Amino acid sequence: MRTAPAQPITIHVEVLSWVNRFVGGPGTGQVTVEEAVPPGSSVRAVLRAMSDRFPELGRALWDPTRPRELGDNIEVLVNNAVLGVTHDLDSEVLDGERITLLGQYMGG
Amino acid sequence: MTQTATAAAPRHTLPGAYAGQLLRVDLSAGRAWGEPWSPADMRTYLGGAGLGAKVLWDEVPAEVSWDDPANRLVLATGPLAGLPVWGTGGLTVVTRGAMTNGGTSTQANGFFGANLKYCGYDAIVVQGQAPEWVYLLVRGDRVELRDARHLVGKDTWETQDALSAELGCSGHMLSVYSIGPAGENLVRFAAIQGDYGHVASKNGVGAVMGKKRLKAVAIVRGGAALRAADPRGLIAAADDIANDLRTNPAAKTLYEYGTLPGVVNLLGLGALPIKNYTTNVALPGVDMKQWEAPALRQGFDHRGHQCNACGMHHCHMQVLPRGKHKGEIVDEPEYEGWSGAGWTIGCTDPVAVSWLNTQIDRACVDVNEFGWLCGWVMECQEKGYITEKQLGFRLAWGDAEAASRLLWMISRREGLGDLLAEGTKLAAERLGGGAAECAIYTGKNASPRGHDHRGRWEEMLDTCTGSTGTLETGPAVFPTELGLPARINPFDPEQVARQVAGLNGRRNFEDSLGACIFTTRTYLENLTRTLSAATGWDYTRDEAMRFGRRIGAMFRAFNLRCGIGNELERPSKRYASTPVDGPAKGQSIEKHWDRMLDLWYEGMGYDRASGRPKRETLRAVGLEWMIPAVWGEDRSRR
Repeated sequence: MRTAPAQPITIHVEVLSWVNRFVGGPGTGQVTVEEAVPPGSSVRAVLRAMSDRFPELGRALWDPTRPRELGDNIEVLVNNAVLGVTHDLDSEVLDGERITLLGQYMGG
Repeated sequence: MTQTATAAAPRHTLPGAYAGQLLRVDLSAGRAWGEPWSPADMRTYLGGAGLGAKVLWDEVPAEVSWDDPANRLVLATGPLAGLPVWGTGGLTVVTRGAMTNGGTSTQANGFFGANLKYCGYDAIVVQGQAPEWVYLLVRGDRVELRDARHLVGKDTWETQDALSAELGCSGHMLSVYSIGPAGENLVRFAAIQGDYGHVASKNGVGAVMGKKRLKAVAIVRGGAALRAADPRGLIAAADDIANDLRTNPAAKTLYEYGTLPGVVNLLGLGALPIKNYTTNVALPGVDMKQWEAPALRQGFDHRGHQCNACGMHHCHMQVLPRGKHKGEIVDEPEYEGWSGAGWTIGCTDPVAVSWLNTQIDRACVDVNEFGWLCGWVMECQEKGYITEKQLGFRLAWGDAEAASRLLWMISRREGLGDLLAEGTKLAAERLGGGAAECAIYTGKNASPRGHDHRGRWEEMLDTCTGSTGTLETGPAVFPTELGLPARINPFDPEQVARQVAGLNGRRNFEDSLGACIFTTRTYLENLTRTLSAATGWDYTRDEAMRFGRRIGAMFRAFNLRCGIGNELERPSKRYASTPVDGPAKGQSIEKHWDRMLDLWYEGMGYDRASGRPKRETLRAVGLEWMIPAVWGEDRSRR
């Protein structure tokens, strides 16, 4: 007997400030994109799905020389914690959780 | 006093882009002269921070404190200054500074560097103390020390206005860097401001200038030619940098808005300092949309205020649109202005912050240190550690007018302002008790930059260990270029320490080029290609990093000779406290501190016990000649 595929889960991806230009936003404020992914998906899978939908975001997000690694332009937070604290790229995300994409800080 | 400087070395012996001589000024003797420097020294020390470090090491012995007339004040350009490369008008100030009483490297932009190079000098080295207030005028190869008694008491913008009128020069023909009342009164965190809004702010360089009774340095753009060794190569490399800044996803925001996006970005990372580190979440009732970069810019009538040869849309002047000071022209704050004159003291009205920020530039103190000090006094008054009677008025969170009153009271050393003029650390130590516990400072007394470093551990480590009176490594720029990870867990002590040590060197290189750190936010490869085309050298990325670490080791050795040891490499209790809310909530750096120091020392090649650069480290960066002095074989230098 075939089992019905599990319902996708929804991850809320907040894209802040200038980064949201890459997802069709105004380059200011916050744009939230709902990303539907299969249950058990990782942070990486969500970001890859986002990158497929928004190639310009993908180019800014990933390291062009090491495609499995993030580049250094955009900060990634999961549930308000910078990547590396509670989640890494291969950590599972749960339905309703929140990923934030934030431009790297330029000082002075 | 009028002095025509001596001729430079024959130009054919010089690398491209250098003027070839230093302008030496002895204020005690009322004398100025040109001093050629060698092509070998140019390659070894470049200019800016590097040249300054060499002058400090050679000419400022341990017994010459920051306020000793024999202290040197180095105002240096670099090889790229005055060339058609974006952001190449600035200067680096190097001296033994008033905050740490140790080495300093602090930068400001504008036109000073370009104007000075066109007058035929790569740097000004000031020594001595004038018997009466003077200003230094450089006009081509004519150098004069002029009476400045009529300028005393004027703020920095008034000083520039007065000198423009006096010299009959306007616009970028004249660059003026001066101190305000704070520098005249030896406020320890006094700064040097120039060209309406550019500030060399760190480590009390304004107090050093004030002690020398040097009110201002005015440079009328000269007509000396600067020769790039490979003009076509220079233009091509400069174009690549400009293109990189315009198109790189992160740098593009700098290109468009300068540092304005910092407030929102840092809030998102838990690194925006709010109300003296008492919270990390936006204050109630604040609409963060007005703090987005476009809103901050468009909220004011504004005009570009670019530095020499710069195509960035970074620096701006703006007009206050409303309130008590409606119609006043001010300098658009940098991120650190929005934080130091704003969020740190609980002020979230952009118009009020912008006004206060320019007041700080006019009185001329470091906006970071003023923020820590003002926020601390506000908290102390709220908690009763400093009474209204002691201060003379009520200083409530967010009150920009009262903060300005405090600023001018400090700048003139009036009342309690006399104690506060010593800076947060010394004032807090003097008051002691609960007041001391809520003060933000470092053991060395280098002022933290305008962030909440409890959410940016790498900058707390850098501020506490650095030897330049401020961040010595600075934020990461393309770390993968140096084989380091693109990103780290900002709360992992091992990753943080290794990253800070691994990146060290790049900042000292940038600060020696005569270029702005915002326009050098490109690949090192682009910078070395530009430097090579300018000078005719074959400068590599490895040479750049080796150079940067050489200069870092020199500053460290200088500080150790000044008695600034590694026992001071600690944050204050509040600075290292654990955030109670926001994205960095619960992250405690304190328990990791010693381990971080161990790893940082290992990465830097410095001796953990004594703090000294190891012999092999000194050899590796070309400082073999310093080994006897650093390691005690030559007692006369220690």
